[in-house]
Amino acid sequence: MSKRKATRKRKPEVGRKQGKKTARKRAAGPGRRSRRKRRAASGGLGRVRWRTGLIAALVLALAWTAWLDFRIRHEFEGKRWALPATVYARPLELYEGLVLSPDQFREELERLDYRLDRSLAEPGTFRRARGHFLLHKRAFRFADGASPARKLEVGFRHGRITALRDPDSGKAIDLIRLEPARIGGIYPAHREDRILIRLEQAPPELREGIIAVEDRRFREHHGINPRAIARALWANLRAGATVQGGSTITQQLVKNFFLSNRRSLWRKANEAVMAILLELHYDKDAILEAYLNEIYLGQDGDRAIHGFGLASRFYFDREVERLTLPQIATLIALVRGPSWYDPRRHPDRLLERRNLVLRIMAEQGVIDAARAREAARTGLGIRLGRLAGSRWPAFVDLVHRQLQRDYRREDLTSEGLRIFTSFDPLVQSRAERALKRRIRELDKARGLDGKLQGAVVVTDTRTGEVLAVVGDREPRYPGFNRALDAVRPIGSLIKPAVYLTALRQPERYTLSTAIDDGPIRIQGPNGTIWSPKNYDGRSHGTVPLFAALIHSYNQATVRLGMALGFEAIADTLARLGATREVPAYPSMLLGAVGFTPFEMAGMYQTLASGGFRTPLRAIREVTTAEGQPLGRYPLDVEQTLEPAPVAALVSALREVTRSGTARSLQTRLPDGLDVAGKTGTTDDLRDSWFAGFSGDRLAVVWLGRDDNRTIRLSGSRGALVVWGDILASIPTTGLLPPASDDVEYHWIDADTGLLSEAGCPGAVELAYVRGTAPSERAPCAGGGKVEEGGGPFNWLRRLFR
Amino acid sequence: MKFLSILLLAMLLTACALAPPGTREGFKAGPGDAAETVPPPPGTSRAVIALLEEARNAIDAGDTVVAETKLERALRIEPRNAVLWHYMARLRLAQDQPRRAAGLAARSNSLAPDNPRLQAINWRLIAEARDRLGDRQGARRAEAEAERLEAGR
Repeated sequence: MSKRKATRKRKPEVGRKQGKKTARKRAAGPGRRSRRKRRAASGGLGRVRWRTGLIAALVLALAWTAWLDFRIRHEFEGKRWALPATVYARPLELYEGLVLSPDQFREELERLDYRLDRSLAEPGTFRRARGHFLLHKRAFRFADGASPARKLEVGFRHGRITALRDPDSGKAIDLIRLEPARIGGIYPAHREDRILIRLEQAPPELREGIIAVEDRRFREHHGINPRAIARALWANLRAGATVQGGSTITQQLVKNFFLSNRRSLWRKANEAVMAILLELHYDKDAILEAYLNEIYLGQDGDRAIHGFGLASRFYFDREVERLTLPQIATLIALVRGPSWYDPRRHPDRLLERRNLVLRIMAEQGVIDAARAREAARTGLGIRLGRLAGSRWPAFVDLVHRQLQRDYRREDLTSEGLRIFTSFDPLVQSRAERALKRRIRELDKARGLDGKLQGAVVVTDTRTGEVLAVVGDREPRYPGFNRALDAVRPIGSLIKPAVYLTALRQPERYTLSTAIDDGPIRIQGPNGTIWSPKNYDGRSHGTVPLFAALIHSYNQATVRLGMALGFEAIADTLARLGATREVPAYPSMLLGAVGFTPFEMAGMYQTLASGGFRTPLRAIREVTTAEGQPLGRYPLDVEQTLEPAPVAALVSALREVTRSGTARSLQTRLPDGLDVAGKTGTTDDLRDSWFAGFSGDRLAVVWLGRDDNRTIRLSGSRGALVVWGDILASIPTTGLLPPASDDVEYHWIDADTGLLSEAGCPGAVELAYVRGTAPSERAPCAGGGKVEEGGGPFNWLRRLFR
Repeated sequence: MKFLSILLLAMLLTACALAPPGTREGFKAGPGDAAETVPPPPGTSRAVIALLEEARNAIDAGDTVVAETKLERALRIEPRNAVLWHYMARLRLAQDQPRRAAGLAARSNSLAPDNPRLQAINWRLIAEARDRLGDRQGARRAEAEAERLEAGR
């Protein structure tokens, strides 16, 4: 296969194109010359006419051959080099202590098409005993080295891996990776319906089985097999019709290149010549590989199924590497007549032919007779799978976009690059399930007529890796990717930026600073008055700063934002990672500014990692088809915000999920799972947002309609519910307070913002930049008695200062 | 005298041979990395130790890209292990990516509030990175921070 290294962008790829042009010229040359000679010959003397005629015929034949040669090479090269990039999920790294349940592990094995087999004879098999698994993992070549096939034993206890060892020697294994699931390919626009495979990918039984059944002398002949043709001719003559074909694999390949159903002798002759020419130019492996990718194997509506890669997806919903023996024999059986043996219409015929194929394979020594007999006892097991594109179009779309910045489209679709991503199938499946289920429910409950849409992005808070992306209520549907492209007003999701701007000035603001939530009127430049209201329609008087955030008071936020100034808030937004220009008008303070769910995830990521901005990335490494590393997308962090104010803000966002607008999470999440987050709702309930994080996972959920009409759902009634389902169903750990010298934690009275104590009613735990915590105590914590530096009503006075 | 020096040399060699493998005593991002090494903390898992070993081998073989991949894998397993972030920072500096190195060293510090020695080493690394970026003033501030930490404040 291609030995050329894939080229990065900018490097011009001249070699191949020039090669093609000269080939065309060479082919065209003799054609013109021959016509001239033909004219000259017709005017010659009678005696030599036959000789001239012979020469002319020869030249003509030569020219014709050259033309055929050009055509077949053109066809072959064009198909051979087009090897799309393969996109892989993250590999599951196994080690003692990993948080993973036996069921989740089994799910992973099933995703990788491992099958139950007590003997563990082959890679790709496993067995489960009480509390532990034994498996025979497959070999895989990673960007940082090869991982050979081997057996291992994995033990679980209390939702963790507690033992990992070699079952034969009993020796402990420190760390081992399972092979990653293939989640998609990057195909040229006009050939999206192919799944091209390399010869090494095809199981040996498939390679050798094809040869045994279709063309036993494939390794020896030069393109045609005269004996087979003679045999077929004789059989056909005796039957008075075509009952047997004598085509070699090479001839069948040629036939597939120029699909036409005419059975003329002229066409047969041309095919034979082209078959011989192909054999002159290419070795047997290249021809067999092209055959495996080209052969016609069925029909799905108006789409033709070409190649074993696509056929195994279509008929068995799995990758060609993972086909079982009976499945391989079934596909080989189909070669002879995909519609005659169509498994949907004629399963009996197909089963009979499959068993014949198995017998031939056994006779020819491809498999032993016992295996053939065993395989012949199984049913067809047809499981029609999805054809085009990925099962995870939204994530693959993200990968594609990140790649397009660095690689040329031709290289992505033709060089067989291997793209290793951070995609986590487990997280993705939980995110899809939660979104689908809740959207269906909410859509029905609100009478939205199937119009409710949504999107989810899940990331790892420590590394900024994207784990899951859902862009549609039907996650398989590769249409509008809302996670990346739906720019929607973010509502109160912007408030953390406003409050963080305040907390970044610890000498002016702390979480206890009293702010006014009274009605507010702001005059616009053209004389209009803007008078935002609180969600509950009430004013709450003077409240501590954190209370205004956790209850999402609009009036207090606008007043605070106006005091801080747009410039300071825009600066905070930029430090959080906002890539869009935020307009400098007051309604911006309540989130009248559009962002995508993906962009919101990027900004909350900075909060989740304590002030370190980490650009979200979906790709880890890219290698060539041969495994040579081409590029990495490295972990990149930059401290853009001081950790202490961020810690203070996060402690308030945590309180949002305990006593604020997202308190219903308390009943939705497992006990003790500490999280922080913020609800977002926009005017007339058009958008429902929730963005939040645990100690290691961040998720942003958006719900809304594409036509931007009301969905009658607030953030806490809609997106939060989906978010809660996701976080409750994936392995995750609770929020950990940042261990910083500059931060101190205190119990604070929720009503007054004064010092309180654990156990006091209404006490909440909040973080303060060191030295800025309130010193006065609330009544429950001994307040009301004399404190140093203040009388009993000091806190009251302070409120009205 | 001669005998004594031979004996000394023999003792030294024995000590070297008995020392645990390189990763247990720290991590060097390459031949040009002259900074003080920091051992992984006691609680570091076997999986991570194994990856550090592989990363070190890759560096010895001159393959910093593979080393980077190994370190990132280690970080995914123990993302709160400040020392791993520090190793990553060293590798970035050795790869002449000072801006990235400084970011990673700061992240390491944010996870190691009770490890002034590691913090001081990170501040020295940040000073070096800032220096390479042409930020002399910032480099001096980082140096001062390192000295303050080394002096036990």
